[in-house]
Amino acid sequence: MKLIDGNRQEAGLIGGKMSRRRFLGVAGLAAGGIMANACATLEGGGGSGKGGQISIIDDTTNPIIEKEIIPKFEKKTGIKVANYQQVNINELHDKLATMLSSGDDSFDVMVTWAAWSAEFGAAGWLHKLDEGDVPDDLVPGALDAVSWDGVVYGLPKFASVQTMFYNKTLLEEAGLDPEAPPRTWEEFVDAAAQLTSQKRYGYAADFGNIDGAYQNFLRTLLLNGGEMYDDQQNPVFNSQEGVGALDRLVSLVREREGMDPSTMQILHSADLSTLFIEGDTGIVFNWPFQYATATDPAKSTLTAKTLGNAILPGIAVPSATIDGSEGFAISSYSKNTEPALEWLRLVASPEVQRRIVVDEGWLPVSKSLLDDEEVVKALPVVETYKEQSKYKALRYGAPWYSDVTTHLSTEITDAMLGRKSPQEALDAAASEAKKTINGYKGQ
Amino acid sequence: MTKSIGAGGGTKNRFFSRGRAESPDSRFAFWLVFPSAAIIMGLLGYPILYAAWLSLHDFKLSRPQSQPFVGLTNFVQMAQDPEFLAALGRTTYFTVLTVGLGVLMALGLALLLAQEFRGNAFARTLLLVPWAVPPVVNGIMWRWIYDGNYGALNWILLKFGVISEAKLWLGTPESALNAVVFAELWKLLPFITLIILASLQGIPRSLYRAARVDGANAWQRFIHITLSSLRNTLILVLILQTMWSIKVFDVIYVLTQGGPANGTTTLFYYGYLETFKFLDVGYGSAVAFTIMLLVLVLTCGYITLLRRQRGSSKVAKEEAKA
Repeated sequence: MKLIDGNRQEAGLIGGKMSRRRFLGVAGLAAGGIMANACATLEGGGGSGKGGQISIIDDTTNPIIEKEIIPKFEKKTGIKVANYQQVNINELHDKLATMLSSGDDSFDVMVTWAAWSAEFGAAGWLHKLDEGDVPDDLVPGALDAVSWDGVVYGLPKFASVQTMFYNKTLLEEAGLDPEAPPRTWEEFVDAAAQLTSQKRYGYAADFGNIDGAYQNFLRTLLLNGGEMYDDQQNPVFNSQEGVGALDRLVSLVREREGMDPSTMQILHSADLSTLFIEGDTGIVFNWPFQYATATDPAKSTLTAKTLGNAILPGIAVPSATIDGSEGFAISSYSKNTEPALEWLRLVASPEVQRRIVVDEGWLPVSKSLLDDEEVVKALPVVETYKEQSKYKALRYGAPWYSDVTTHLSTEITDAMLGRKSPQEALDAAASEAKKTINGYKGQ
Repeated sequence: MTKSIGAGGGTKNRFFSRGRAESPDSRFAFWLVFPSAAIIMGLLGYPILYAAWLSLHDFKLSRPQSQPFVGLTNFVQMAQDPEFLAALGRTTYFTVLTVGLGVLMALGLALLLAQEFRGNAFARTLLLVPWAVPPVVNGIMWRWIYDGNYGALNWILLKFGVISEAKLWLGTPESALNAVVFAELWKLLPFITLIILASLQGIPRSLYRAARVDGANAWQRFIHITLSSLRNTLILVLILQTMWSIKVFDVIYVLTQGGPANGTTTLFYYGYLETFKFLDVGYGSAVAFTIMLLVLVLTCGYITLLRRQRGSSKVAKEEAKA
C-alpha cells in the first residue's frame, strides 16, 4: 500500500507539487489524446470515403456475402464491416420497421426490395441516392426493387424473376416431349394433369403464406393480361382478367387438375424448391435459385440434363412474370453514408455480380452481364430470363403493399378453399384495398 | 412448516391492515421492498400507460410526422371490425378448448401419476419433455407432423386405416385451428399436470382412509376429497392457462402464420399484424389494450369465484362445527 502510494506520489499524481514541466507534459498528452480521439471519430464517421466502418443487416439469401464479399470489400476499401447480421426475410420487415421508426442507427445498410423501398422510402427512412450514383445499365426489375415514385433509394444485389422449371424425366415418362415444354396455359394444365399419378403431382406452388398466395395470383393475373392498379393507383385486380386468373387457380386445386393439394400449406419458395428436387413434382414456377438447388448433386435427384427451364405459359398474353429482385439501401439515420455507398457500389459491380450468379444462381443486375460467357455458362436460366424479359415482369411494390397483400391473400385463399366465388373474393379485396390506399394517401 | 407460513401470512396481514400501529419491522420491510416494487411498477406501468396513450391516437409508424388524437375512434373501429370480431371468436374457441381440455387431461394424467406403479419416475420425467422443448421448435416440429406430403400424422393414420388418403391438416381454416389447439395442448399439459400432481401429493392419506371407513366409494372420495382439495390449485391453473391461451402467439407464428384465410388469426396475432405488419401502432395498441382488459376481467372473475367458494366452505365448516 505504501509502495503504491509512494509510486503515485512520485509520479506527481497525488500530493506533492506539480512542476511546470510536468504540467505541460500532462497537458500535452491530454491534448494529444483528445485530438487522436477526434480523428478516430471523424474516420469512423466515414466522411472521407476511405477507411471508416459500416454495419449491414441482410436476409439469408446470399451466404456468399459473409464468406467472400465482405473480406473483399474490407481489403479493397479499408472500410471495416463492424457488424453483419442475417435475418430470415419473413421476420425482417418487422425488425426493420421498428428499428427505423425509432431512429435507430445500429445499421447503416439494409437489404431491400420493391415493397420495402416504397414503404420505408415514403416514410423518409431511406437515404436518397443521387442520379450519378446509379449505374446506367441496371435491368429494369432490379432498379425497380430499390426505387419508389421516381426516387432511387439503393442499388440492387441481384435480379430475380420467376420462370418455369420442369422435370424432363417425368415429362418423358408421362409421354410428353421434354424438349417442348408447355407454352400456353391450356398446354400447362393438360401437362400437369398428365403428369399426375398415384404418387406424383404435375404442379406445385407455395400458397401457404401471405406473400405466396399474392405472388401466385399476381403471376396468373399478369399472364391473363390483367393489372393490379390503374394509373391513379386504384385497385383493378377484380377485373374480368383478375376473376379469370383466380378461376384458373381455383380449378387447378379444386378440380384436381394436377396441382399438389399441399400447395395450400407450402410456406416458402425454398420449401417448394425442396419438394421439386425430390423428383415427384413435374412443374414449378420458381425463382432463379431453383436451378442451383436442382442441380446440386448432394441434394437433388435432378441434374442439369434432366432439369428443364422455360418462360411461363401465357393465358391471354404470350407470357409474363413477377419480379423478386433485391438490393441494399442506406438508412437515413446512418452517419456513415459514404462508406455505405461504397458497399452498395461494390455489390452492384460486375465483379461481385458474377460471383452471385455463378455461386448462388441469382440473375445479374447489369444488362451487360446477361451476355457474359461465364455467367451464361454457369446459369442457363439467364437465356430464359432474356426471353422472359420481353414480357411484363412486375411486383407492384408500394407503401401499402403489406396491407393490400394480406387482405388479398385471405380472399384468394377463401376462393381456393371454395368458401367464396373468385368474383366475390376479389371484389371484397379490391374494396378493402381502396380503403387502405386512400388511407395512405390521406383521403 | 405450516406454522411458519401461517406466521408469514400473519405478518403480511398486519402489514397491510389499517388501524393497527405499524411495527418498526414492517416499516423496514416496506422500505426493503419499495425499490424493487417501484422498478417493477415502472416497467409495467409505463408501457401500459403509453399503450393507452397510443390507442387514443391515429399513430402509423409509416407516417411519423402526423399522429392526431382521435379519442376512442380506434376502439369504435375495432368493435365494428369483422376481422377483429372473427379473431375474438377464434380466441374464445382456442381458449375454451385449450383450458377445458388441458385441465381435464392434466387432471387425469396427474391422478394416474399419483398412483404407485413401476416406471412412475420415468413417466414423470418423460412428462417434462414437451415443456422443455422451446416454443419455436415445438411449432416447427408440429409443422412437420402435420405436413400434407410427409407428415408423421398422415403416415400413422394411413398405416392404421383411419384415413384413406393424406389430409392437409393445415389446409383449411377449421382443421388448422384444431391442429394449433392440439399442438398447444401438447405443450401446456406438463406444466398443469405437475402443478396438480404437486397439489395431489399434499392431500393427507388419512382423509381417504377415514372416508373409506365411513363407507365412501371411489367417486365420492374423488369428488369430496380430491376435487375439493384441488379447488384452489385448479383456479390458479385456470387463471394462468386462460391468460396464456388468450395471448398465444409463437405456435401460430411458426405453424400457420395466422392462415389459411385468417383461420388461425387469434386476437394476439391480429394485434401483432396490425402493429408490426401494417405499422398501425394506434390501432394495434387499442387491440393490445383490449386484450389486457379482457384478461383482467377474466382473472377478476376467477378470483371472485375462488373467494366465494372459500367463503361458502368456511360457512359450511362453521356450520359443521356448530
